Amino acid sequence: MPYFKTSTEWFEQSSLLLKARPTTTRITSKYTVLKPTASKVQKRQKYLEKKAARPAKPSATTSSDAPSQTLPTPDPNEPTSTFTLKTYDPESGTCLQYQTSKGAEVGRLIGSLGRLARHMAALPDVPETTSAAGEATSTPKVEDDTKDLGAAVPAAEQKQGGGGKKKKKGKK
Amino acid sequence: MPGDHLSNEEFFTKLGDLLENNRTKGHGTVFLTQKRLTFDTDFSPPPAAKIADDPLWDTHPQNPLPVVIRASNNKSSSRPGTDREDIAKTKLSTVVQPDQLDSFYGRYADVCKAGMSGLKKRDKKKGKKDKKKKRKGAVGETKG
Repeated sequence: MPYFKTSTEWFEQSSLLLKARPTTTRITSKYTVLKPTASKVQKRQKYLEKKAARPAKPSATTSSDAPSQTLPTPDPNEPTSTFTLKTYDPESGTCLQYQTSKGAEVGRLIGSLGRLARHMAALPDVPETTSAAGEATSTPKVEDDTKDLGAAVPAAEQKQGGGGKKKKKGKK
Repeated sequence: MPGDHLSNEEFFTKLGDLLENNRTKGHGTVFLTQKRLTFDTDFSPPPAAKIADDPLWDTHPQNPLPVVIRASNNKSSSRPGTDREDIAKTKLSTVVQPDQLDSFYGRYADVCKAGMSGLKKRDKKKGKKDKKKKRKGAVGETKG
């Protein structure tokens, strides 16, 4: 199963899957820090050399030239960190994944894990006023995303009937 | 294995250690899993005939169920030519009661945010640029 492009999409699909199979579905989140391989380091170095050799774009005006040159060059030996979410149901073999490398997303993703845990515990959905308020304070960008989530949840609920039908078909 | 589950408090401190070890090591993985707890509880599936009648039997349990949270690191074994060391697998697990879910996830998010510092920071470049600009401006002022 390919990775979803947005966490909203992942959350929607995962909540549908959990509604259909709450007992068997599990959610694994993996935080991994990897040292780059020798070939990866080489590749990064080559890229940096190429970037340095290439003259600055004409669109970059004189005023912004100086700061862009003084930007610290990324260390080719820097480890790559990723955070991967995976919802898997062994009974149907469904696997839904989302991956990010942004630290700012972790709080929101764990928040959505919490809401999915409510499905697992068979508790009713809560209006996400608390989570939205908690995260909106951190960054303005998150705010947009939470709005998306808010819009997505009713849609997911509407889809619920369709999801159930699909599942029944699979069973027969 | 109900005896093996840690209390929520203990789980958080040990998870913090696990993430901290991963950070000091500079590489490695931490796995976190959550699942409905169905083993060794009073929740038992209805008899087979009933399951056949209603394939969605598990979607409407009578009572809310606890959720089990597991955490583990990757096992690693030393290998010549690398700086890898022998690290035993650590497994943690805890059971969260339905009424504690919200408070648990609040703390869970804090612990994870603190531990996953290797991920990209927000607007790293922008902040540095601004600082440099400010510094340059200050230098220019003093010179002028």
